[in-house]
Amino acid sequence: MLSCAEFLAEFGDYLEEAASPEVRARLEEHLHECKTCQVIVDSTRKTIRFVTDCDSFTLTADQVEPFVKDVMDRIREKKP
Amino acid sequence: MGGTLATRNEESGPFRGLIEAYGFVPNLFGLQKKLPRVIEAEQGLIDAIVVRQSGLSRGLKGCLLRIVASAKGSDYCRALHAETESNDGEKDAALLAFANKLARYAPWICKHDVEALRASGFDDSLILDAVLTVALGQLLCTLSNALRPNLDSGLPTPASIESSRLAEPVEWFDTGGPYLQASPQSASNFQPYAFFREQLGFVPKLFQEQMLRPDVVEAECQTLAQILMPEDLLSRVAKEHIVLIISAANLNTYFVAVHSQILTTLGVRLEDSNQIVEDHRCAAISPAEVALLDEVRKLACCPRGLQAGFDPIPLQAHGFSEPQILEAVAMAAVTNFLNTLQAGLGAVPDFPPRRVFTRKDLYPSSGPSRLISDATSPSDPDAAVVACVQGGDTGAFEELVRRHSRRIFGTLAGLLGNLDDARDVTQDVFLKAFEHIGRFQGRSKFSTWLTSIAINTGTELLRQSKPCESLDGGEEDDEFRPRQIQSWADNPEQVLAATQRTDLVREGILRLPEKYRVVVLLRDINQVSTEEAAAALGLSIPAVKARLLRGRLMLRESLAPYFIRVEKRSPDAQLR
Repeated sequence: MLSCAEFLAEFGDYLEEAASPEVRARLEEHLHECKTCQVIVDSTRKTIRFVTDCDSFTLTADQVEPFVKDVMDRIREKKP
Repeated sequence: MGGTLATRNEESGPFRGLIEAYGFVPNLFGLQKKLPRVIEAEQGLIDAIVVRQSGLSRGLKGCLLRIVASAKGSDYCRALHAETESNDGEKDAALLAFANKLARYAPWICKHDVEALRASGFDDSLILDAVLTVALGQLLCTLSNALRPNLDSGLPTPASIESSRLAEPVEWFDTGGPYLQASPQSASNFQPYAFFREQLGFVPKLFQEQMLRPDVVEAECQTLAQILMPEDLLSRVAKEHIVLIISAANLNTYFVAVHSQILTTLGVRLEDSNQIVEDHRCAAISPAEVALLDEVRKLACCPRGLQAGFDPIPLQAHGFSEPQILEAVAMAAVTNFLNTLQAGLGAVPDFPPRRVFTRKDLYPSSGPSRLISDATSPSDPDAAVVACVQGGDTGAFEELVRRHSRRIFGTLAGLLGNLDDARDVTQDVFLKAFEHIGRFQGRSKFSTWLTSIAINTGTELLRQSKPCESLDGGEEDDEFRPRQIQSWADNPEQVLAATQRTDLVREGILRLPEKYRVVVLLRDINQVSTEEAAAALGLSIPAVKARLLRGRLMLRESLAPYFIRVEKRSPDAQLR
């Protein structure tokens, strides 16, 4: 069976549901037996959920059009 | 351009050094007669390195030059150095093998290669001679591959390639140089040192490490004085750009670092030099200079991914005169010479390199060169709009800004950590994209190309404030061991208010090292595919996956204290 280190090295694709059936089977075999890695998988999934939902780094919908206008104004200013 | 310049061998006055070296004036130099100072510099190097008596025999030097000519596919140079033989078979074989590797695979040369030569009985002085000779061979091959002289009458037509083919080395050792023992520094009145201090403000280590041959350093100094410094044809900055682009193609960290710094003394910002290194086509230079760099890049020792040879026609179309083209070729040849010297001697950069070339840069086919590459070919939902803009419809660009502004802003906001900066830089990115959209060839998605510009621009800004951090840092081989291994609450969203949670996530992301942060931003915040992120970052897909996982785990560590399920903490839990 995989060690925790081996599991942690390979579980990236598992999180993305992109692991091959063979790799997935080996990872799940480890996961079934290892409470610690279960915790890590669960908390990493929750982390991804938080990050994905994070709206700190986006323009809000009402900011987009003024931004587009600013960019186009600058382009037209520069254009001879 | 072989037929465009007349060669008149009978005018041997200024060519005395060449006659001494070859017994006649080779066509290679006759083709450059419109630039006597360049010929003088080349003669000086040939005299110091080949003609002047030193540790290695003239015959052995000829063998080394022939090996380089074979490696570079220069029939002309093979013929020019055909009449030379080596004497000491077994011992010389080690040197010839070293020369073959240095000529073909300079980035792989490491101190183990030099130690192997020492073990075969070559002392540092002989090794320096060998490196110098191979470097000179690169210079001559660059000239002949660009100028394409006719074979000189009387020289034998070269037979098929005789140099042993060398399999591409497997191991890439990042062994620190310098490889040769330091020699006593010359007194402060050593003329070349005075020249370097005056012209560059310092004495580059590459030259200090050749002080076993001060006469050669003197010839090299003359070469720079006669080819790099004059401004009567190409500008100094244009020639420094040639040094950068050739050195980048040769994966030469040293010269990119040193000459980027030198360019700052000429008023060129480091970020502008970096753009030349990453993709000169998006740099703030004239179309003529873009064309110049397009052509000279083909003359690099390792013109990765470039099959076509140097062509002066596009340069003539951009108004470059024949002497200017000759000077550009000579500058490329000198750069190959210096790059080879550096690779052979292992000189370490005089300034902290901003761009460290690594093994991954060797395999552009497994991923486009970093940033602003458009070298893949997925279908692109923006293709039609891009075509309109390229056709002159400026207004159509508005739709591209609308489609991508949130994503580009998101990437930059996460990268820079400041919304105002992100807004300004996002505007700059779109302006840059508009300016260069004519060169976008549609071999990658427009969004990938745009993301590349954004990351490049953002990281440049970051490096101005945090010069030590780099996206290009090597992959960490050390295992990342999670320390927070208590269970999280089943519904962690209920543990903290949404705004507090958002603040924590934002702070956690901003604390991530840059190279992990940018991947997390692309993949998790902006939902860019792994393939597209890899293309935009110039990384392999496994590297993107590894960085994403590491970034997510680091973020998990920083969030864990706020979300662990207090009542079920299990202090005994540990990794097996």
